Amino acid sequence: MAKEYISIRNLKFLMSEVLEVDKLFLFTKFKDYDWEAFQMTLQASKDLSDKYLFPIFTEMDKKKAYYDETSKSVKAHPGLYQAIKALGEGGWIGSNSSYEQGGQQMPITLLNAGRMIQHAANANAAAYGLLTDGAANLIRAFATEDLIDLYVPKMMSGVWQGTMALTEPQAGSSLSDVKTSATPNDDGTYNIKGQKIYISGGDYEDAENIIHLTLARIDGAPIGTKGISLFVVPKYRNENGQSVSNDVVTAGLFGKMGQKGYVAAHLMMGESEDCMGYLVGVPHNGLKYMFQMMNEARIGTGAMATGTASAAYYASLQYANERPQGRHPSSKDPNDPQVLIIEHADVRRMLLFQKSIVEGSAALVLQCSYYADLAENSEGEEKENAHLLLELLTPVVKSFPSEWGNLSVSAGMQVLGGAGYTDDFPLEQYYRDIRVNAIYEGTTTIHGMDILGRKVMMNNGKAIQLLVLEMAITIKDASSHSHINPYAEKLDKASSSLRKTTSHLVEIAIKEAPEVFLSDATLYLEFFGIVTIAWLWLRQGISAQKSIDNGVSESENDFYQGKIHTMKYYFEYELPKIDALQKRLLSDDKLTLNIESSYIN
Amino acid sequence: MNLLVCISKTPETTAKIAFKDENSSFDTDGVQFIMNPYDEWYALVRALELKEQHGGKVIAINVGDSSNDPVIRKALAIGADEAVRVDIEATSSFFVAKQVAEYAKSNDIDIVFTGKETIDYNGAEVGGMIAEMLEQPYFSFASHMDHDGSTATVTRDIEGGVEVAEINGKFVISAAKGLAEQRIPNMRGIMMAKRKPLNVIPAVEAEGNVKVLSYELPPVKGGITMVDADDMDKLVKLLHEEAKVL
Repeated sequence: MAKEYISIRNLKFLMSEVLEVDKLFLFTKFKDYDWEAFQMTLQASKDLSDKYLFPIFTEMDKKKAYYDETSKSVKAHPGLYQAIKALGEGGWIGSNSSYEQGGQQMPITLLNAGRMIQHAANANAAAYGLLTDGAANLIRAFATEDLIDLYVPKMMSGVWQGTMALTEPQAGSSLSDVKTSATPNDDGTYNIKGQKIYISGGDYEDAENIIHLTLARIDGAPIGTKGISLFVVPKYRNENGQSVSNDVVTAGLFGKMGQKGYVAAHLMMGESEDCMGYLVGVPHNGLKYMFQMMNEARIGTGAMATGTASAAYYASLQYANERPQGRHPSSKDPNDPQVLIIEHADVRRMLLFQKSIVEGSAALVLQCSYYADLAENSEGEEKENAHLLLELLTPVVKSFPSEWGNLSVSAGMQVLGGAGYTDDFPLEQYYRDIRVNAIYEGTTTIHGMDILGRKVMMNNGKAIQLLVLEMAITIKDASSHSHINPYAEKLDKASSSLRKTTSHLVEIAIKEAPEVFLSDATLYLEFFGIVTIAWLWLRQGISAQKSIDNGVSESENDFYQGKIHTMKYYFEYELPKIDALQKRLLSDDKLTLNIESSYIN
Repeated sequence: MNLLVCISKTPETTAKIAFKDENSSFDTDGVQFIMNPYDEWYALVRALELKEQHGGKVIAINVGDSSNDPVIRKALAIGADEAVRVDIEATSSFFVAKQVAEYAKSNDIDIVFTGKETIDYNGAEVGGMIAEMLEQPYFSFASHMDHDGSTATVTRDIEGGVEVAEINGKFVISAAKGLAEQRIPNMRGIMMAKRKPLNVIPAVEAEGNVKVLSYELPPVKGGITMVDADDMDKLVKLLHEEAKVL
């Protein structure tokens, strides 16, 4: 088992030197925070992860959660309940909410930094806390005081868990086809009936209660997304002070490729006509409410993928530092001792690839979290701009760490060679675990269509203009550092390519059918993500160069030089990939539209 | 019950260790520091448990400059009621013990807790020195302690077994693994830590008569030599000539 799974030093660098989080301390909500509290919180997250999450990471996979036919219950790892309770007692569930609501008014930037640590330690267990946090926030934001008082405190303590119950057998990415029904009762409650599938964290016997935030259609509601409402559907409901079964039955668990400790349940609601749901907010606004949770979960999914890719990076780095194998190509004498594999250029390339993806993704997660804090707490133009940038980058923060994290973990496995493919090392588990992040919370296809079809267009393209402006500021900042400036020029060129490609696609949107415009939206998202990460790497390079110029210790010099060289790697090896993407995106060839399905069959 | 817990700052366990001034002092440049784990996980937590059981207060004490404040704040975040920092560089175990003992004398401390040792210099000296200065009993390497409010029963790890002893009245104890279970500060504790008192006091005079001449890192571990299972002659030769164990 690897010893390390994340770099706290890197998170501190990103927050204090790249993002300058001390600006957040000026907001009323965060006035009790300072850099010392930030550092202590990060360490607390690491301590909690070391004690409760990391030790059961492998075991949760080897002894995966399962549905026990005899007891009709879901058996999960015995350490899971303790881990979730530790997250609750540690203040990691509902921590962004106000002191009056039992939270700690924690900045989202700090929350997601802490979460990346937890996901790196064990995403299988940490994900339960993430979902419960999102569900509790949703109830707090839109439900009645009675529902809040009944559910939120126990969810925040980690004793009760929360889920988001959206997907149905016929309604996955297409939520407008949700069929679960909600029949009103005279007392204001609803009878819920339907099936929900792939419900993450959907059931396990140690949880005292599980609160499903469920999308359903009230009888007679309009068809499509405008007829969907949101309900609290608990596993056990309160009846005259007694906890009774609410007719939410687990039909089984899905056998998953990875994240085997994090159940995906098939839930049957109301099979015995005795499932009560409690309406959240007003009827037919369910999807709108749910998007709050989904947007939080999308940054959370990026944080989860980043965490898993980080753990894989440190595992392969440790192996590369310990495994002697082969000799340098110039060494002709077989009696020469073997060198550690980190000495080989191609192994270094793969490690640099991993590092550039992990630390680039972490920068993106924190940047988006920072925008979320600004959008919530600042005023006027700054608030509006932060909101637009967050909206624009949400598909990127969900997709880039997930898609590139997959590639990164794959490279990590390659560093280990045959050993990486065996379960003697954790790479094979990380490889299986990270795959799902590109599917969670909307597949990459959905996010491609979101960024190109909605986000780039919104407010007459103001969001992308703001991002380009942010890049221009960074490029200008880099121009005063001669070592960094060549990379600023590369980003300038990439930014121009992004503008040119976007303009071309917008023209297609005007001239042609949506099918044409959106046919390569996923490639556009990839293009967008690569350029965005280049921007964030340039910012890291500038900050590192500034520290070096100010004089640092030997070990700190290694850290900052590592930053600069990884930035260079990204610009030299990864950023050029946009040229091929741009060529395709500017092409008029409508290959995927014009081909007959029968040609593929 | 007034409980005083000695808190030391030690390098983070993965820190690169280097020396300066002709190897006579530790080079702290670029080193990340943490609270000494024996102080944090066992001494402080057992003190908090006693307070929760019998009432009173837990005071964390540290000797050092303001760069130690983050470590002291962590003790407050975990649950200490207040903290004291003796504002002077900790030059030796004797010097630190003197500062702590003087504070304990003038503040009616019932039990002084230390970790069994710090994980940097591994001296395991301060607790014994404090006890001597206070003229109180000392229990080193304690792995278990019960306290009914007047009498403490302490289990010490000794070579090959344990020793169980009983004490009425004030005493000094050094905490080993097992005395308590690590507590991780929660967010509420972290936010409250800023509001708890951290009193900075001047040092008392104390002269140590020990001067460290030099430090030396352990030799770098050699690589592994693989020997064919059928080649016993080579193995014997290596054990004889290189390992020098035959």
